[in-house]
Amino acid sequence: MNKVLNVFKGSASGKPRSASLEKKKARSGWIFVLPFIIGFILIYLPVIFDSIRFSFNEIRILTGGGYELDFVGFQNYRDALFVDTGFTQALVSGLKQLVIDIPAIVLFSLFIAIILNQKIFGRAAFRAIFFIPVILTTGLIGQIDANNAMLEYMNNGAIDTGVEAEASATNQILNAMDLKGLFETMAIGQGLLEYVVQAVNSIFDIVNRCGVQMLIFLSGLQSISPAIYESCQIDGASGWETFWKVTLPMVSPMILVNAVYTVIDAFTSSSNKVMNYIDTVYNQPNGNVLSSAMSWMYFLLVILIIAAVAGLLSLFVFYQRRD
Amino acid sequence: MNSAEAPKIKRESKNKIRVDFERTPLLQRLRAKFLNLYTLKKVLWYLFRLLLLIGVSYIILFPFFSKIASSFMSESDFVDVTVRLIPKSPTLTTYKAIIVDNQYFKAFGNTFLLSLICGLLQTFICCFVGYGFAKFKFKGSNILFLIVIFTMVVPHSTLRLSMFMKFKDFDILGIMSLLNKVGAISKPGFQLLNTNWPLWILSATGLAYKNGLFIFLMRQFYKGIPDELEESAYLDGSGVFKTFFTIIIPLSVTMMVTVFLFAFSWQWTDTFYTNVFYTQTGPLLLTKIVKTPASLMEMSSASSTLYSAAIKNTCGLLIIFPLIILYLFGQKFIVQGIERSGITG
Repeated sequence: MNKVLNVFKGSASGKPRSASLEKKKARSGWIFVLPFIIGFILIYLPVIFDSIRFSFNEIRILTGGGYELDFVGFQNYRDALFVDTGFTQALVSGLKQLVIDIPAIVLFSLFIAIILNQKIFGRAAFRAIFFIPVILTTGLIGQIDANNAMLEYMNNGAIDTGVEAEASATNQILNAMDLKGLFETMAIGQGLLEYVVQAVNSIFDIVNRCGVQMLIFLSGLQSISPAIYESCQIDGASGWETFWKVTLPMVSPMILVNAVYTVIDAFTSSSNKVMNYIDTVYNQPNGNVLSSAMSWMYFLLVILIIAAVAGLLSLFVFYQRRD
Repeated sequence: MNSAEAPKIKRESKNKIRVDFERTPLLQRLRAKFLNLYTLKKVLWYLFRLLLLIGVSYIILFPFFSKIASSFMSESDFVDVTVRLIPKSPTLTTYKAIIVDNQYFKAFGNTFLLSLICGLLQTFICCFVGYGFAKFKFKGSNILFLIVIFTMVVPHSTLRLSMFMKFKDFDILGIMSLLNKVGAISKPGFQLLNTNWPLWILSATGLAYKNGLFIFLMRQFYKGIPDELEESAYLDGSGVFKTFFTIIIPLSVTMMVTVFLFAFSWQWTDTFYTNVFYTQTGPLLLTKIVKTPASLMEMSSASSTLYSAAIKNTCGLLIIFPLIILYLFGQKFIVQGIERSGITG
């Protein structure tokens, strides 16, 4: 009798009660991100772990494949900081470069994105041109361009004496002098002056690294409702006021995203001085573990800077309340 | 009634009349409309923008022009001081030498296979993962997303040595090495160096170059799609995955093309991973053909450094040529992708 009842019960309620919609959704969420989780646990974590382990060891590659490790503690880190002469230098100059680059890139890409968002003759063509560097001037091409005698020659029109590099350097200084003169008459502080001079000198580099940021800014600008601008216009706000009161607060989350992205990009790009230095160390005999130690210290620095930038900017970020 | 004020009505044909009004002369009207401070300001701003855009476009495009120009120059042009942008005796020797001596087409084929599969895998996986982050709330999703960003922040040189070791003898959870120790198999793992597998595996798990960015972009894009769309699909009895494949994917084609363009071309010109995973004896990739071709060796060493720079540039041009074609077709998707997405922070 009991058995029969059970069977009856079973057929009535069918399978065990299905999970709530929320739980179901959470489960499908896990399935969607599963490829990444698998990769992270099976490949990325071991690789990270190995890398940390290597940085505390001396490594010997065995001839039959495989390797042997000798634990040396913080020796590699000490070597990188105190024995190796180039590392700290590269680090400092890399940081200096970063201080120049990040505001320049973020501001420039915001400016260009705003202009490209307005109606202008040939907007589609300009947009197409501005995204060229994202696709074409990366990786290998960036490396070829990094020390390109041809470009310098054509840009500066140096005299063909075989010392093009030197000639172009003087040319750059000359250009900077002109600019300096201009600014000195305007009586702006020395710090700002040097900053602008540096930024102008590396305009090519800055333009080339703006692509993704511009993309993010443009899409941020697109998402601002035209109704807001319309009401501004009706209330008689000028373009200038609209920019400061509407556009800037509305894209401020994008500014945060872009600043962080720029830091990441600048730190991990292969044209970075520190990265270059670490790469050269890697190729030296016995340099591979040393370079691991260096790049871990570098990584910690990157994290610190990202946290600082993100923390600083998030004070000014305005989030529009939806609904 | 005064006839001057009244509109003149003229019957032109049976069904057509013409009305003539007294109007202010055209010149005066134009003057009132355009000769004021407001218009002047507008025109000046317009010109300024145009000038700025043209200037920056010049900065972007000029290197390409100069590279193209110098790629057609013969070696005598580099000695000639008067030659700057336009070659006096144009020649195709540089191209020919690179294509023949550096085995351009072989490298092209290898790189194409690698980049195409990497690009497709990355696009699809990032789409998938991004959707998971955008539309589902589950425990730890925020931490997981932070981890995605983390993978982007770690400089890849940090992982260079360990990546190399990992894929030199690739095994998962030490299963292969365990079997090796027991004696079941002779090798401690799959030897994946000099094959395309390392990059394909990394792509399939969303760990390849800048995949964190792609996941972020896709996530932001999907956040812009209203939830009601999927809810109505669920109500109609469509499952989560069916909804994703039949409704969400077709919606996100433009964004996917954008991501694919990025993934494909970044893989195409990537030097870091190709240096780690491919040795000299491995398959020839495009990133490895940047060198002076054997037949031009004598000439380039005899003439100025400009010539060898030009050869390098020509290599670069040949390498990015397919990307230029791809970009010409794909650029409208990049622009459309952002117009429709409305990425928000």
